[in-house]
Amino acid sequence: MRINKVILIFKKDWREIRRNWQILLPIFVIPFMISVLLPMFILSTPSIISMPASSLAGIENLMKNLPKNIQTEIKEMNIQQALIYIMLQYFIAPFFLVIPIMVSDVIASDSFAGEKERKTIEALLATPISDDELFMGKVLVAFIPAVIATTVSFLLYSVVVDLYSLRLLNGKLILPNLTWLLLVFCLSPTVALTSIGLTVTISTKVKGFREAQQISAGITIPILFMLIFGQVMGIVILGPQMIVFLTISFLVANFFLFGIGISLFGREEILSKLV
Amino acid sequence: MHAIETLELTKKFGSTVAVDKLNFEVEEGEIFGVLGPNGAGKTTTIRLLTCLLAPSSGSAIVGGFDIIKDSIRVREIVGVQTENPSLYERLTAYENLDFFAEAYNVSGEQKKRRIRELLEFFGLWEFKDKKVGTFSRGMKQKLSIARSLVHDPNIIFLDEPTSGLDPESAREIKDLMKSLSKQGKTIVFSTHILGDAEKLCNRVMIINKGKKIALGALEELLSNTNKKILKIALRKLDQKVIDAIKCFKQVKEIRVDNSTSTVSVVLNASEEVTPEIIKSVVLNGGLILSVNVANQSLEDVYLRIVRGNNVEN
Repeated sequence: MRINKVILIFKKDWREIRRNWQILLPIFVIPFMISVLLPMFILSTPSIISMPASSLAGIENLMKNLPKNIQTEIKEMNIQQALIYIMLQYFIAPFFLVIPIMVSDVIASDSFAGEKERKTIEALLATPISDDELFMGKVLVAFIPAVIATTVSFLLYSVVVDLYSLRLLNGKLILPNLTWLLLVFCLSPTVALTSIGLTVTISTKVKGFREAQQISAGITIPILFMLIFGQVMGIVILGPQMIVFLTISFLVANFFLFGIGISLFGREEILSKLV
Repeated sequence: MHAIETLELTKKFGSTVAVDKLNFEVEEGEIFGVLGPNGAGKTTTIRLLTCLLAPSSGSAIVGGFDIIKDSIRVREIVGVQTENPSLYERLTAYENLDFFAEAYNVSGEQKKRRIRELLEFFGLWEFKDKKVGTFSRGMKQKLSIARSLVHDPNIIFLDEPTSGLDPESAREIKDLMKSLSKQGKTIVFSTHILGDAEKLCNRVMIINKGKKIALGALEELLSNTNKKILKIALRKLDQKVIDAIKCFKQVKEIRVDNSTSTVSVVLNASEEVTPEIIKSVVLNGGLILSVNVANQSLEDVYLRIVRGNNVEN
């Protein structure tokens, strides 16, 4: 595999994406909503902040299932502080998996199925760039922005959360911590790869990028909602152990997904699906 | 050495045979036309020879390389202008050529010089920084041909190169093809414009339903038939006149053009019967404006071969 050809595909696709507001808009807006607006909303809503102690009863399960070190930490906090701490530390965490999924899904759909839809793929396939180089270039163009968007969102989120926690938790900084570092730098990239693997596999079989995007999102979003729901109900807690377990699970899934994706990513298969 | 040589080249899509045991050679420096009705297998043939598709059976050698074993080498040495312009509309004309030049391993000063040369030749240099999405169809077609030449290939495949172009641009492309052929480049092109094939090609191959139904130099194809066409322009068309012409056994076919009041009479053999036909027209009250005897055109030959093949099948 020639790296310069992989980079060439990456640069060409990235140049196209930079000029497409339909792709840029969700890439900027959704991470901003999750990393800045959502925590600000939670922290600045008086009804949440002044929630009575009885409200904590509803999240008893979650409290019991929290890692011991966290339980130790919230023991010293009053109810209001503990609630905000749990929300910022755990409730929002699964939403951060939406960012890599959404960014990689939007870009990969456009990059793979979009080329077919716009009928630009034939000239590209006629070049002496190999299937592997083409595949890798297109995976990178979806993967790198997804990782960057998640990292930047995490930095923004950390600033917002820590600005509040400095005041509310008597000078204590919530972020960064091991759970979030594992979430952002291990689980998120792995989930992004799963989303790309799905999109690539689906893209070889469909004619348009919207179709690819919808099918891929249709598979990943329910999994994500199960994770969010499980977290709220206290069934699944995204602690370090759970994150490592999920990372390994997604890595195994990626191994199979990419195997299928690469085997389907042939010139013949792509051209036969041209509109 | 042949620039292209195919051996029983076949492509099937499920139960449909798109290309059926094609055997032909293209010589170096030749302009070779591939003609055929829609769905005849022209584009599939080009896709097989440019390694975009793998044959179901049979093989081909392009520029000395096997299309199955050396597909990357084949793609390196051929230039392809695809059926659709296949250009990135959000990129500028320069960026499009820059990307494809790099993809074909052309870089540095050589790349810059080549891009400028091509854009200037096609009259697109002043639009080099404009996004391709803003281009007219003709401009896109020119840029698409420029892209196929960016790495200065020895074998060039052009799929309908003059389609969508204004007469002046089409003329430029035809001149370019002639000039490339003089430089020793081999050009394979498919077209529906039979006049283009007649003017440009050294040889043509007519395919229908994936099968080769005729192949040869234009003179050969045209001389294979000694049929002549007698064109009689009348002041006014009259059924009595047409019926009188039909009576001659040497008349193979009659075509009537009501808009110009012209009767085209396809003669079975030589034009020796012409005076008798003219006499008969006059005797039946036809007022003749002009008479012209011509050989069949490529269009006539093409239509006869394709229709004949369709009837046989």
